[in-house]
Amino acid sequence: MFFVGSFFLFATFLITTCIFVIFSKNPVNSVLFLVLAFLNSTFLFILIGAEFVGIILAIVYIGAVAILFLFVVMMLDIQRTTLMSNIKRYVPIALLFAGIILTEIIYLTIYKSSKSNPNIITRSKNNTEQIGDVLYTKYFIDFQLSGIVLLLAMIGAIVLTHIYRPTIRRQNIDKQNSTTATDRVKLVKVNSGQGIEND
Amino acid sequence: MSPLSLEITLGVLKIFSFVVPVLVSVALLVYLERKVLGAIQLRKGPNVVGPFGILQSFADVLKLLTKENLLPSSSNKFLFIFAPMLTLILSLIAWAVIPISSTYVISNLNIGILYLFAVSSFGVYGVIIAGWASNSKYPFLGALRSAAQMISYEVSIGFVIITVLICVGSLNLTDIVESQKNIWFAIPLFPMFIVFIISALAETNRLPFDLPEDEATLVAGFFTEYSSISFGLFFLAEYANMIMMSSLTVILFLGGWYPPIDIFPLNVIPGIIWFVLKVFLILFVFLWVRATFPRYRYDQLMRLGWKIFLPLTLVWVVLTSAFLFYFEMLPK
Repeated sequence: MFFVGSFFLFATFLITTCIFVIFSKNPVNSVLFLVLAFLNSTFLFILIGAEFVGIILAIVYIGAVAILFLFVVMMLDIQRTTLMSNIKRYVPIALLFAGIILTEIIYLTIYKSSKSNPNIITRSKNNTEQIGDVLYTKYFIDFQLSGIVLLLAMIGAIVLTHIYRPTIRRQNIDKQNSTTATDRVKLVKVNSGQGIEND
Repeated sequence: MSPLSLEITLGVLKIFSFVVPVLVSVALLVYLERKVLGAIQLRKGPNVVGPFGILQSFADVLKLLTKENLLPSSSNKFLFIFAPMLTLILSLIAWAVIPISSTYVISNLNIGILYLFAVSSFGVYGVIIAGWASNSKYPFLGALRSAAQMISYEVSIGFVIITVLICVGSLNLTDIVESQKNIWFAIPLFPMFIVFIISALAETNRLPFDLPEDEATLVAGFFTEYSSISFGLFFLAEYANMIMMSSLTVILFLGGWYPPIDIFPLNVIPGIIWFVLKVFLILFVFLWVRATFPRYRYDQLMRLGWKIFLPLTLVWVVLTSAFLFYFEMLPK
């Protein structure tokens, strides 16, 4: 009873916050609702006993990804009218993605869940230990591959945005720290009425 | 009373037995800070209110409570009021998993350290929401600095925690302390201990890393627009976070409730007293650092986090795991 009640509570909150993410007038509010959505999905994970996945979701998505979203959205000067004017351009691709994800969910709920038996997982160890047992042994290749995919995405983003400008003045900390007074200051004898020459 | 309601009452009492001492020790920590700074700078510090000025912080709180709470007219009212509450809540819920003796803990979670890490990483929201909701330049700049700073230092804190976890083999905070019965992790992992204390200073926005509230350039940083008790909540949360990070340092590196050496006069002292003494020591280091070092510049702070701490901690994770693997000392 408690389990079912909490599930529906968090699931309702999750869907409500997702709707608010889409329909908020202010982009910053959207991101804050997204954070709430992440938080509710964390609760759902903890509810089914996957506390490790739940907390990791919270640390990665709420603690890092959403903060960077917030960071970027706060810096942007977004006008809602310009946002709304070209919203129709994205409808086909959004529908495509929604269709793919919906098909996956239907496939998983109808075909997969009837075949696999959830009770097959032994409850002798907590799920953190269970993940630890298989992550670097059974799923070693998959784990490393997903790491490489993320690395590629990161390098791609850096390459796309990084422009090398030869004129930019950079700070070289080691050079700065290794200078002494003699490199910067010199004592000059100034003759009266003549001044000094620049060099 | 039915068993369920009795259990709930006991639970609530237990929570109060953590929260009330934390809030009182916040007041005493503020007093201690002013006294320690005074002593270091050859001043007297607060000495008027109560014996030795010990009631000074309580007088300050009363003063804050009676002031008018100003709401900037162009601010986002809901978020403006919500941000200090969130900050204080986050600094208090972290205490749910901190074991102050071998048996005394509110919730002995299996993933206690992950919970603490998650809660401390949420802390940045209070700051960034406050900065944005104020709709003013200085708070916004303070919030941006703070967000960048907290994310940067969380990375090295994460690696330091991983190093400790490799030595323990459990995410449970009680297990972490119990595995230090023979030797505190501060000794074999000494560089990590130092990195953790410095990162804790940055994570709690303390000097020399208090750039989010750098008064010389940003007035008061993210709480420039705050007044009265909403300012008080930020203040309270900052000091509660300091105590929390000190407790975490004690749990991870200084053997929690264990005495330094397990010999007669030391091991009859209750564990909780050892725990409090160690927290006190770390807090004193926090205050000592404040009186000693000048504030870092923003680029120096980022360089320290990303170019020095991150490679250092990464190498230590690999070294520690290689060492434990080679000598077959890996737990379990």
